[in-house]
Amino acid sequence: MNARAGAHPRARRRSLIVAALLLLALAALIGVAVGGVTLSWADLFAGRGEPATTARLLASLRLPRVALAALVGACLAVAGAALQALLKNPLADPFLLGTSGGAATGAALAALAGASPLVSPGAAFAGAVASSVAVAALARRGGRLDLQRLLLAGLIANAFFSAVLLAVFSVASVEAERNMLFWMMGSLSGSSWTRAAALVPYAAVGGTFLLLFAARLNLFVVGEENAAALGVDTERAKVQVFLAASLLTGAAVAFAGVIGFVGLLVPHAARAVAGNDQRVLLPVSGLAGAALLVMADAASRAAFAPAELPIGAITAAVGAPLFAWLLMRTP
Amino acid sequence: MKPILETRGLAAAYGATRALDGLDLTIPAGRIVALLGENGSGKSTLLKVIARIVEPAAGAVLFDGRPLAQLPRRETARRIAYVPQSVDLVFPIRSLDLVLQGRAPHARGFAADSPEDYRRALEAMRACDVEALAPRDASALSGGERRRVFLARALAQEAEIWLLDEPTSGLDPRHRLEFLATLARVHRERGTTVLFVTHEIDLAADLADAVILLRSGRALAQGAPPQALTPDTLRRAFSVEAVVEVDSAGRRHFVPVAPAD
Repeated sequence: MNARAGAHPRARRRSLIVAALLLLALAALIGVAVGGVTLSWADLFAGRGEPATTARLLASLRLPRVALAALVGACLAVAGAALQALLKNPLADPFLLGTSGGAATGAALAALAGASPLVSPGAAFAGAVASSVAVAALARRGGRLDLQRLLLAGLIANAFFSAVLLAVFSVASVEAERNMLFWMMGSLSGSSWTRAAALVPYAAVGGTFLLLFAARLNLFVVGEENAAALGVDTERAKVQVFLAASLLTGAAVAFAGVIGFVGLLVPHAARAVAGNDQRVLLPVSGLAGAALLVMADAASRAAFAPAELPIGAITAAVGAPLFAWLLMRTP
Repeated sequence: MKPILETRGLAAAYGATRALDGLDLTIPAGRIVALLGENGSGKSTLLKVIARIVEPAAGAVLFDGRPLAQLPRRETARRIAYVPQSVDLVFPIRSLDLVLQGRAPHARGFAADSPEDYRRALEAMRACDVEALAPRDASALSGGERRRVFLARALAQEAEIWLLDEPTSGLDPRHRLEFLATLARVHRERGTTVLFVTHEIDLAADLADAVILLRSGRALAQGAPPQALTPDTLRRAFSVEAVVEVDSAGRRHFVPVAPAD
């Protein structure tokens, strides 16, 4: 490696993004094929006959599910990557910091009040912001966010939101158990093109904003004072990035419930491959997060078919050991 | 001489703790100015207020006669570079990327990666003798190497003013001398104004054109080293009795001998 290595960041960025796109395409193929009934590629691409019709029918159910999984995974991974850079903290993640719990509570309360599913991202966003504000306030000490306090505050928030969700559904709904499982462990079983399409604008707004902010996030990676000394209005930047990350988290949770560890796991894996330039890391994390969740969803359908595992159980089974490993490595 | 920086009744606080308390200062252009004072006297805070990391509670910083607060933040960063005492690098970062960050205030959307940015970053690293460290992880460098990488970054920033927070602390004698030689050379070549915080009274007397002594967030004395650094001002600033010795080269050495009552 010499001083010129990486002298062409734009070319490098392009090839990494293409590689991540290929990964996502592969995951999507697996996601469409795998499930209660496993389809062969020949079934999927055959044009005629009865097996082909069955295959197409299944694919039309699975395709929107794959699309929704991809969007949700991308939202969570980009939010996690941005939070890690902003807070200069490799353990930041929308789930661990309680943002997802807040979003779930917001969306569940809205659903309970009979609001249309199309406004539930708004309610989830409000819950996510409320949770972020509370957690940040708890974690602030002497004018800065303290790592230990941040994780403890996230723990407190998660315990509180679990209690609220349990209470709300125990008293209010006939479908209580199914709903609770959806909000607390995540599920993509209710996927449809309408739901996938409804998530798009939220993902687009939050994701585009963070991508445009990526060069500034690079300065936060060295520290908040560093960003300020290099000309960033840090107070405003923190609010903007928190809001964008909350928007992405809120939207993901509103359509798929709480799915943990994606925002932690994916940016770390992506950083190991693509480096820590946020202009590369954010898009690569988004695509890799999409691929991961599509595959996790396929696994949740295939593992104990015809029964379906909650997808959050899969991501937690992979994510929790990784979190433990990271915690041991963090000074 | 035309001042490049002035403070007027400058105050800053962290919660209930007052760090600066009505500070009036004048920093002449193109000179090296040392900032001395006991722990908690407001030295680092003053640098952070000038670098716009900390917002003043009252008063103003004037830059070229204009209130600094009226200058856009990026413009400030193009003209004033801040070199922290130490940075806790949680994530690995290539030294070259750290130096490239100095180009961020000059770049559209802070995205400093044009060929021109690379050229200037590498040129700055060459000037500070750290070009060979460019591909290395900055978090794995020694204290002296890292100090010079940050100095290279200030150079790449092409600022008129450098704010250095205890640039020599924690350096062994050899790295300290090398760092100071590099600093003196780039200062001479660029004509930069340097404002640095130090606990080394001898260094201030030797290197600086002017000295500012702070106590409880106020200026106790300011001026050329022989006038500003006397047993009397040192007693008032540091609460110590000190003797002044002059060596054969004519350099003045300050030896604290006892705590003052």
